[in-house]
Amino acid sequence: MAVMRMGYMHVRVTDLAEAKQHYANTVGLYQTLEQDGRVYYKGWDEWDHHSVVIEEGGVGYVKCGFKCETPEDVADIERKAVAMGYPVARMTAGENPEVGDGIRVTLPSTHEIEFYSSMTAWGLEVGTHNPDAFPRHMVGIGAPRLDHALLWVQDVAEIEKFFMDCTGMWATERVRTSLDDDAHTIATWLTIGESNHDIALLEAPENKIHHFAFEMRGWNDILHAADIFAMDDTPIDIGPTRHGITRGTTIYFFDPAGNRNETFSGGYRCFRDRPVVTWTPDQLGKAIFYHQRELNERFLTVAT
Amino acid sequence: MPKLTVAPQGISVDLREDETILEGLFRHGYAYRIGCRRGGCAICKVDLLEGTVAYNRPVAETVLSAEEQATGTCLTCRAVPETDITIALREENLRRVASLMALYAATRTG
Ligand code: FES
Ligand SMILES: [Fe+2]
Repeated sequence: MAVMRMGYMHVRVTDLAEAKQHYANTVGLYQTLEQDGRVYYKGWDEWDHHSVVIEEGGVGYVKCGFKCETPEDVADIERKAVAMGYPVARMTAGENPEVGDGIRVTLPSTHEIEFYSSMTAWGLEVGTHNPDAFPRHMVGIGAPRLDHALLWVQDVAEIEKFFMDCTGMWATERVRTSLDDDAHTIATWLTIGESNHDIALLEAPENKIHHFAFEMRGWNDILHAADIFAMDDTPIDIGPTRHGITRGTTIYFFDPAGNRNETFSGGYRCFRDRPVVTWTPDQLGKAIFYHQRELNERFLTVAT
Repeated sequence: MPKLTVAPQGISVDLREDETILEGLFRHGYAYRIGCRRGGCAICKVDLLEGTVAYNRPVAETVLSAEEQATGTCLTCRAVPETDITIALREENLRRVASLMALYAATRTG
């Protein structure tokens, strides 16, 4: 397996102090570094140095990184991407603090995606010797780990092709204009492992980020997270509810710069031979918000 | 305390000190198209017809450019009126979604 997971998400925030309050005290991430106007965080159930980077100035997507198992896996992605004509640049160890050598691909959607195979080890908050089930003094919602992101792209099929052909990801679910073979793909959910998705793509007028998500330990923790958002006056976009797509339970909420975050839990295990699920636009409400069965306008119009 | 008027209906509400346009309208039971409430998504823009506003947070240039600011575009989730102001929504009407809140906001200001 080449890519193992989404390793980090890097976004801009308008006010660093407020964003730090959100990611540390509401989301409950652990700060591992602050340097050059950027703050680095990890969740309690992550072992690498960081999974979220925030940078002061503006709002929205900077880049994300996928961790591969070995340097050969990175080289393999590089070979495929170059052969297919994607702009690829090498990045050297330390270019991103605590991240090893790797490559940076600029997608036709302008999104920069990095692939690397080593990051300084930090360790699980519960350790690895006779560990407890969770840290005794979790903060805020205690998000264990970064899970996935949904990008807005103008051409879903084009970007899906990059991830499938160059990184070995495969689609678990899609929204298509019809059930016909030649239907147009409106959205796709791509996975690399056994989770429902590591990255998802939604057709949109601009190339942006719709949200990035943290995996929670279950529905109880999703409900608890919503309570914390009420206490901290964190704007909730929707939820707690369930997605029809992936069957995951969810809350969409916003950081203090307006970047959309998600708490996600559930879904089902995926294997490469699993049949792809297809949703049609007439059922899009149920696909996105399974209980309300109605799309809110924000889901389709709000991104950073 | 600044008075906020929404054209063309002429609906007006009294805002509290340091209250954003968005907060003031929702406190009075009105709703319109908004997104993140945190200055990131640009959905809550309106036309500022009269008066001046200040921003209570840094606003990203990609969300509200200097030129837009200069030509009367206003980001309502971050804009705090400095004077009495008049705004006009874009391609939609202000909706009253909670008349009870309007009643209480009108009887108990401050
Ligand atoms: S609601 Fe998102 S910028 Fe105002
Ligand atoms: Fe998601």
